[in-house]
Amino acid sequence: MTFQTLFAASAGHLYVGNTLWYLIVFIILLILVKHYAWGPVSDMMEKRRQKVINDLDSAEDNRKKAEILANEREAALKNSKQEATQIISEAKTNAQKTSSQIVANANNEAASIHEKAKADAAQAKVDALNEARAQVADISVAIAEKVITKNLSADDQKDLVDQFVKGLNE
Amino acid sequence: MEKPFVFNFLGLSFDLAGIIGSTLMAAVILLVCIWLSRKIEMKPNKKQNIIEYILDFTDNIVKDNVGDKDAQKHLSLYAFVLFLFIWSMNQLGMFLEVKVGDTMLVKSPTADPVTTMSFAMMTLLLSFTFGIQKFGIGGYWRNYAEPVSFLFPINMIEEITNFLTLSLRLYGNIYAGEVLLTLIGNNLAPSLGIPTMILAAPLAMIWQGFSVFIGSIQAYVFVTLSMVYIGKKVTKE
Repeated sequence: MTFQTLFAASAGHLYVGNTLWYLIVFIILLILVKHYAWGPVSDMMEKRRQKVINDLDSAEDNRKKAEILANEREAALKNSKQEATQIISEAKTNAQKTSSQIVANANNEAASIHEKAKADAAQAKVDALNEARAQVADISVAIAEKVITKNLSADDQKDLVDQFVKGLNE
Repeated sequence: MEKPFVFNFLGLSFDLAGIIGSTLMAAVILLVCIWLSRKIEMKPNKKQNIIEYILDFTDNIVKDNVGDKDAQKHLSLYAFVLFLFIWSMNQLGMFLEVKVGDTMLVKSPTADPVTTMSFAMMTLLLSFTFGIQKFGIGGYWRNYAEPVSFLFPINMIEEITNFLTLSLRLYGNIYAGEVLLTLIGNNLAPSLGIPTMILAAPLAMIWQGFSVFIGSIQAYVFVTLSMVYIGKKVTKE
């Protein structure tokens, strides 16, 4: 009864053949769509999914690597900073050493020059004195000669000779 | 009321409208699918995007309702083709109704209970198959007595009601849409001459748009409920 009203649209006919036909068409459609569209597309979607997973993994790896690299670089930078300060301090101490050495050398040289100058001066003084002494002797002898030739009495001559002899004896 | 063109072949009766409609739509779907997936690439092009969107849509229906991973893979194809097939059969009657004399040659095959029952039957048979594959024949029958044994007859009746509601919901929606469209076109439009024709045109347009919407919703509902029924069979309650 209910089925009669239900199939009002099909006007009393219950065409079972259609069911069979739909089944066949649907199965053929399933097979063909699977072969031509669904298979390749879902394969590609799966492949893309895998690729995205791989890409994400490798991106994570790369990020980690970059982090490690950055850390290394920072450490290297710190090291090089330390090295630089060390080099600068070494250079400073070296410069100080050299400068003090140079000052000391200069001092020494100045002292030696001073000494030499002093010695030279003394030598010059001695030489001058000696020369003066010799000249005084010559001049005195010449004066003496002149005085003697002018008026040398016998007494004076005697005294002079005595004095000379005395000087010889001493 | 238009008469269906029924003929007998090999002792079985066939309705020509349903056969023409379903075969036509199957061919259209096949061609569209082949056209959309002609060049499959890792970086999808526009056409590939469309088919991937549809596939994703039906895949989500499957994944939401079927927990079993093995069944999901097979049902993905079933849901994809079923959705496209029912959707396009729903839309066929919206733009193409061929009548020769008083007999219907082309209309929506889903506006016919035999068609919707055929597809509901397919779903049901598939659900039995998946259930038996998963639990074995004994386990399958035992699932009817879950959670308590006295529910066995109710669960058995549920199979029949599932089958009827699944098929008749689709049939009713599409058939009502066609009936109203025919009423507007054949009865309302010529009733008072030019004024009613002018009035009927936007009405028919609005109703057609609504029918397209209903057809899509019903295709979605049909596939979703199919997956719910199959999903119920492959999961232990």
